[in-house]
Amino acid sequence: MTSTTLPARRDAPASRPRRRRPRTKQHLIAWAFVAPLLVVNVLVITGPGLASVYYSFTDWNGIGQPNFIGLANYAEMLSSGAVLNAFVHNIVWTIFFLVVPMAMGLVGAFLLSRIRRGQVLFRVLFFIPYVLATVVSAAIWRQILDPRGGIGATLADLGLPFLTDVNFLGNPSLALGSVAFINNWQWWGFLLVIFLAAMQSVDPALYEAARLDGAGPVREFWNITLPSIRPTFVFLSLMTVIWSFLVFDYIYVLTKGGPAGSTDVLSTLLYREAFENQRQGYASAVAMLLSVISAATVIGYFALRRRLKWDV
Amino acid sequence: MNRKKRALVLTGMLAAAAMTLVGCTGGGSSSSDVSYWGAFYAPTTEDAFQEIFIDGFNGEGDAKVDMQVKELTTIGQLTDTAVAAGQAPDVIYSNGPSAASDLARADRTLSLDDYSKKYDWEAKLLPWAYELSKVNDSLMSVPTGYGSMVLYYNKAVFDENGWTPPTTLAEFETIAADAKAKGIVPLGGGNSGYQGMSEWLVTAVLNAAVGPDKLYDALTGKASFTDPEFVEAIDLIKGWIDDGWLAGGAESYFTTDDTANITGLANGSTAMYISGTWAFNSLSQEFEDPDGWDWAPLPSLNDSVAPGVFPLAIGTALSVNAKTEHADDSAAFIDYLIGDVDRSLKYTARTGENPPPLAFTADQFPADIDSRTARLYSDIPATTNVGYATWSFFPPKTDAYLISEFDKVVTGDVSSAQYLEGLQKSFDEEFAAGTTLTPFAPTK
Repeated sequence: MTSTTLPARRDAPASRPRRRRPRTKQHLIAWAFVAPLLVVNVLVITGPGLASVYYSFTDWNGIGQPNFIGLANYAEMLSSGAVLNAFVHNIVWTIFFLVVPMAMGLVGAFLLSRIRRGQVLFRVLFFIPYVLATVVSAAIWRQILDPRGGIGATLADLGLPFLTDVNFLGNPSLALGSVAFINNWQWWGFLLVIFLAAMQSVDPALYEAARLDGAGPVREFWNITLPSIRPTFVFLSLMTVIWSFLVFDYIYVLTKGGPAGSTDVLSTLLYREAFENQRQGYASAVAMLLSVISAATVIGYFALRRRLKWDV
Repeated sequence: MNRKKRALVLTGMLAAAAMTLVGCTGGGSSSSDVSYWGAFYAPTTEDAFQEIFIDGFNGEGDAKVDMQVKELTTIGQLTDTAVAAGQAPDVIYSNGPSAASDLARADRTLSLDDYSKKYDWEAKLLPWAYELSKVNDSLMSVPTGYGSMVLYYNKAVFDENGWTPPTTLAEFETIAADAKAKGIVPLGGGNSGYQGMSEWLVTAVLNAAVGPDKLYDALTGKASFTDPEFVEAIDLIKGWIDDGWLAGGAESYFTTDDTANITGLANGSTAMYISGTWAFNSLSQEFEDPDGWDWAPLPSLNDSVAPGVFPLAIGTALSVNAKTEHADDSAAFIDYLIGDVDRSLKYTARTGENPPPLAFTADQFPADIDSRTARLYSDIPATTNVGYATWSFFPPKTDAYLISEFDKVVTGDVSSAQYLEGLQKSFDEEFAAGTTLTPFAPTK
C-alpha cells in the first residue's frame, strides 16, 4: 500500500507541470494573437484618448507647450452658445436619422421582402449610394442643389420656376435639413439591406399562420416582422444615435458648419476649434463631451436591455 | 508546441513589432535632402517652380531639395499637424508671417538672424516685410510672395455699359445699381469652399473705408476696432449684401466660391470682383481672351481715404524647422527663392505668381511679363497709399475670429458693432500677451 501510495504522491506534483505547460503555452499563443491588436489599440485609441483627456485641461494650441488651466475649457464649453447651438443640431440630426431613414429602411425592406422578382436589382439600386465616396456624392448633390445651374434652374427652364430662388445650402433655415436629406440619400439603402437580411431570417410559418388567421400586411409587419427583427432594429437605433453625434463628413464637405453655424454640429465645431482656431485644448474638451454622450448612450442601452430583458 | 503553432506565434509577434516600428517612423525623402512642402494654384505653376527653383537649386551645389506638393487650401493645417508630430519638413511653409509667428513662439522654428546677415536679407527685402517677419526682434520667417487686393473687372462688360473703374464710393454705387438693374451681379463675393475668402473682402473695405492711418492706430493699440469708422465700414458690406450687390445676396454668398466668381467675371454675369493679386493667373486662364480682364486699385469708400489704396499682403512665409539637420542648406534654399530679383521675376512672368517683397525697378521686369503684373509692381512702390491685409498684419486669433464670425454679419445674426466688439476683445487679449505683429507706420 505504502509502495503504491508513495509513487502516487510523487506522481501528483510531477503531473502538475504537465497540465500547466500546455495551458501556459495556450495563453502565450492567445496573447501573441491578441498582441498586434492591443498594440494598435494602445497606439491609435487608448493613447490618444488619454492624451485628449490631459489636453482638455490645458490651453494647448497644437504646436506649443500645453499649460494646465484646470476646468477652464469645460467651464467655457458649458457656457458657450456655439456649443449649445451645435449640440441642438446634433439632437435634431439624431431625431431625423432615428425616424426618416429607419422608417424608409423598414418599410422598404418589408415591401422588398414580399416580392420575388427584381428583389436583387432593387437591393443593388438602393445600396449603390452607400458605396459612393462621401466627397463624390456630396459634390453631386452640391451641383444638383446649386441655384445657378442645379435642379431649380433646370425646372425653371422647363417652366416650373418654384425652386428658382431656393438656395438649399446657403439659406440658414434650409441648410441643416438639406445636408441631412443628402446624408439620408446615402444611408437609408444600407439600413434597408440590413433590415431585409434580418427579415429573411424570420420563420415563414409565422406569416402563414397569421394569414390563416386573417392578418393583412400591416398586421404582419407590426405583429411578426417588427418583434422578430427587434435585435437588429435596436442595434441600428443605438448605432444611429452614436453616429449622429459623430457626424462630420457630409456637413464638412457641403457647408463646413455654415452658414453662420446653421449646420454646425459638435464634431465640426471641434474640428474648427482644433485646426482653424488653434485651440486643441478646448477642442479636446468638446471631444470629451462627445465621448461622454456616446458612453451614456451605450450604458443606457445596456441598462434598458437588462431591465426589459431583451435578447440583444 | 508543434511547428505550425510556433510559426503562428512568431508571425504574430513579428507583426506586432512591425506595427510598433511603423508607428514610430515617418515617411519622407532621403535624410540627406532638404525637405519642402509646396502648394500651388495650378499644375503649370508647380512645373515652373520645380524647374526654376527646385531643379535650379539642385543643379548648383551639393545641397538638394526634395519638394512634396500639397493641397493649397489645407497646407497650413497639414503643416501645423506635422510640426506638432515632429514630422514637419526642413523648410516650413506658412500662410504669411502671422501664421509663421505662431510656430516661432512655440519654438518650432529657428531664428534666421545669422542667415539674414550671411545672405543680406535685410537689404534685399522691403523694410516693411522684413520687420513684419520678426518675432521678438528676431527674424523668424522669410516672405516669398507679396501682393495686394485690387478690383477686377471684365473690360468688354465695362465698355458695353460705358463704365469706367470706380475711384470713389459714389462711382462704385452708380455702377453697382446699374449692373443690378441689368441683371448683372455687381460685385462677386462668397466664401464657399474656403471661409477665409471673407477676409479678402473685409481687408479691402477696411483699408478703403477706414484707411491705413486708422488701421495702423488700431493695430498698435491707439484706436479701437469698435470706433465708428470701423462700424460704418462693416455696415457698408452688410448694405451691399442686403441690396443684393455682393454675390447676389446673403444666401448666394455662402454657396459661391472663388472659381465661381472668376467664372462669373469671365462670362459677364458679374461686373466686378475684389480679390488678391494672386488671381492674375486664374483670370487669364478662365477668360477666353486672356486680355479680357483688367484690375484697378480699390476705390475710396470714404471721403477721408484717398482712392487707390493697396493693402499689402504676404501670402507665403518660409521658416526653418527647429528640428532640422540641414539648417544651412534650408537657409540657402530660401535665399535661392528670394535672393535674386531676376530669377524671382522670371517665375512671376511665367506664372503670374506674386514676387517676393524685394526692391526692384521697372527695367528689371522680363520682356515677357504680363503688362498688368508689371503695372501692379510699378504702382505699389510708387505710392504711399498702402495699407494692411488682415492675414498678414492681424494676430492669429484675431484673424481667425474675423473670418469665422463674419458669417453672422452676413446673415444678420450679429450687428457690425457686436462683431467688432468681439474682434477688439480678441485683439486686446493678443495685444496684452505681446503676440501682435509689428505693422509699418503709414507713409505720408
